[in-house]
Amino acid sequence: MRNRKQDKEMKRNENKAGGFLPQPVLSLFRKSWRSTWRGNPPGAVLLIIGFIVAVIMAIPIVYVVFQSMFAGADQWLRLLDDRIPELLWNTLSLTVVVTLFSVVIGVSLAWFIVRTDLPGGKVWRWLLALPLVIPPYVGAVTYIIVLGPSGWVRDLWESIGFLGEYNLNIYSFWGVAFVLIMFTYPYVYLIASASLRRMNRNYEEVARSQNMSTGRIFWKINLPFLRPAIGAGAILIALYVLSDFGAIAMMRYVTFTAAIYFQTASFDTEAAAVLSLVLIVVTVLILWIEGYTKKKSDYHQTSNTFKAPIQLSLGKWKPLVLSFVIIVFLLSVLIPIVVLIYWSVIGVQMGALDSRFFEFVWNSFRLSGTAALLCMVLAVPIVYLKTRYPSFISNGIDRLSYAGYALPGVIVALGFVFIFNNHLPALYNTFYVVAIAFVVRFLPQAMQSTTASLSLVSPRVDEAARSLGYPPWKVLMKVIIPTILPGVLAGGALVFVSAIKELPATLMLRPPGFDTLAVRVYFEATEGIYHLAAPAALLIIFVSILPLQILLRRY
Amino acid sequence: MKSSIKGLLFMISIAAVLVLAACGNNNDDEPADDSGENLSPEETDELVVYSARNERFVQELLDKFTEDTGIQVSALHGADPLQIEAEANNVQADIFISNDLGALGYLHGEGYLEGSDPEGIETIDEQFRSDDNAYFAISARTRGFIYNKDLVSEDEVPQSMEDLFDAEWADLPNGYAITRGGNGGMIGNVSALRHEWGDERTADWIRAIQEHAAGIYEGHGDIRRAVGAGEHAFGLVNNYYYHQQLLEPSDNNVGFIYPDQEDDEMGAIANAAGIGNVAGGPNEQNAITFIEWLLEPENQVEFVGESLELLINSDIEVDYPEEVEEHVVNFEDLKIQDMSITDLGDHFEDTKDLIEESGLDLELR
Repeated sequence: MRNRKQDKEMKRNENKAGGFLPQPVLSLFRKSWRSTWRGNPPGAVLLIIGFIVAVIMAIPIVYVVFQSMFAGADQWLRLLDDRIPELLWNTLSLTVVVTLFSVVIGVSLAWFIVRTDLPGGKVWRWLLALPLVIPPYVGAVTYIIVLGPSGWVRDLWESIGFLGEYNLNIYSFWGVAFVLIMFTYPYVYLIASASLRRMNRNYEEVARSQNMSTGRIFWKINLPFLRPAIGAGAILIALYVLSDFGAIAMMRYVTFTAAIYFQTASFDTEAAAVLSLVLIVVTVLILWIEGYTKKKSDYHQTSNTFKAPIQLSLGKWKPLVLSFVIIVFLLSVLIPIVVLIYWSVIGVQMGALDSRFFEFVWNSFRLSGTAALLCMVLAVPIVYLKTRYPSFISNGIDRLSYAGYALPGVIVALGFVFIFNNHLPALYNTFYVVAIAFVVRFLPQAMQSTTASLSLVSPRVDEAARSLGYPPWKVLMKVIIPTILPGVLAGGALVFVSAIKELPATLMLRPPGFDTLAVRVYFEATEGIYHLAAPAALLIIFVSILPLQILLRRY
Repeated sequence: MKSSIKGLLFMISIAAVLVLAACGNNNDDEPADDSGENLSPEETDELVVYSARNERFVQELLDKFTEDTGIQVSALHGADPLQIEAEANNVQADIFISNDLGALGYLHGEGYLEGSDPEGIETIDEQFRSDDNAYFAISARTRGFIYNKDLVSEDEVPQSMEDLFDAEWADLPNGYAITRGGNGGMIGNVSALRHEWGDERTADWIRAIQEHAAGIYEGHGDIRRAVGAGEHAFGLVNNYYYHQQLLEPSDNNVGFIYPDQEDDEMGAIANAAGIGNVAGGPNEQNAITFIEWLLEPENQVEFVGESLELLINSDIEVDYPEEVEEHVVNFEDLKIQDMSITDLGDHFEDTKDLIEESGLDLELR
């Protein structure tokens, strides 16, 4: 037992400390090491695993930053001159518009469903969260089919005749924005609903006794309480828009992420690294703004006098609100699913479910399964390290693990292309590179779920096991893991679904001949071969529905 | 102390088991795994193909190859020639299929392709292969203008590349369409103009089309569909896109201009699609097998496939659909610009820079 031995040695040193120190430097190091961990340093095994994960998480980003620094002044000047300003404008305007509309739609839906007597309230709660299972690039395909230059609406438009020429252009800023809004608003909706359900009725009653109208109460009482929820939802959406590749590329719009992808695909890696650095800065700025505003405004609710919020009557507004909810549901769930089923039926009739299709299915499942397994195995020691042995070291490891999650997948993939092609050629162009990239991207999803489970296990349990002679890693294996297994598995399920949907990193890192369902949806749809794209897309959605329950429970 | 080492070993063995489990699953269809092992070339039964050509045309060809020879092909579609360059120290591909002979010439010039003496290479005219046969062309295409006959008549569209300097073409109904600058066809087009006119005049030409074009598209397929549907009066494409549009069930009332055909003009700009043999690829023997297989006449026809291009070797019969047959103009019957197609490679890199500097973006934005 290294720890106990250390302890003994430490004690001996301390006893002698009254006189003189035999190894003053070593002792000082030991002391500061112990004080770093508040007198409870973890075992070597846990620490080594933690460090390995931290290094893997950090490498791609460090590498990209490093590359962009050495891109040379003229490369920077060339890009700064007109490319970067234009991309900044494209990216930021889209991010702001999508975030704004998603927040408005998400908060209003949450309000109507939680607080009003909307007919069918409980059912809507579920139905409106469903767009979460439709990846935005699949949504984009369906809207190209419906609204595109040779889409259903055009046919309808022209068959009516007197309407004139059909000139709705889906390949435009508002086309992209519309698709992204429709498939990202559930993030805000779910977080806002949870927050509204927890809101204490007392404050509103006080306000009402002061003769405030419902409208004023909303602005003065409800909205401020909703502020942290809105902030959290908005940040998720903004980060999503920054990182989305599939929907944006299919709608022929170009943001930083799409530009980085295209530069990497034509192996102009220097320019890609420069653009990546700018995107990293933008991402960090958004995270910083959120952190800053959160700090400035702190709201608290007392929980001891909690009373569930009352239901407001919609009155004459009922038909209007109901049609709003129905329209959102139609646009974000029903129409896309109907389009996909329609083309899937055609596809199946034309023999789309051939051996090639099942090869893609197998590739997708194998890749996502490996990523999920790796994430579950790695999440446990890191979370355990962080919650049971808090220190700046374990916190640092935890923070680094989130880096790949917050940053767009194209940047992680770009870093991996660099590293594996130049320094680890044996692994380059293999299935493992993609799987490891997924771990970097999705490990935090497994960590969140594991953390939630572990927080329910009292540290006393660990202490009891330790006192009976188990080293930390054995406590973890024999006592903790069996207890938190459901949470770990739930995290694995979330990683699995994210991995099935993942597009840009797969496109950039997959070995020749290794196509996944997501990759096929992208290629077939860009070629306009919808009967081959639809069955794959439908399968992705179907798989994503399975762990939706876990996701909903979190909010 | 001892038990923590034991713990470490335990963790490592878990990791090893995981890796092995994944390994066992995918040994059979993971070509790149073998690259590091010391298999002699004869022993592999795989071939790695990078292709810049449309996946639909190439996949059928590769499937037929597997059927004929039993060699499994792993294909990366949509690959950029520069990927071969980036992987030079870690070669992954055996064969590179390109739509732009300039790209193959460039790779050859940089030493990334290796020569061979395959059986059947004499079916390809010497003008369309490198001296050492490291790369060669199979099918040819010429640049020209596809136009919508409902919107404009033959004499209302430009008859030469030079005509595009003129701003008047922007005034045709719905204007005209070009591809992004990084498109292989566009790069070859610009290289030929540089050869003909020099860089300065070519840069002016790029600026002119960039400014006057009503639409800039990712690829030629988008342009032919847009022109067919009347979204533009005409578009700058390769001739076989015209053939493809003729086959569409609707929107097919289109015509095609082979530009610069007068005696005092330079002739139509030609390019070709072909393949290169990547130096140091993991399955060298199979690469040669593939090259010789491809040179068989029936497989050259298969290479053209649905693309409706013309074969370099016009002695080999291609069965075009009857809607297309009557509109096919044989390569020999055209006046072709005199730049040797194999020279295109020398211009490849500079041309991309020139296009970008002249304001036409390589990628859509």
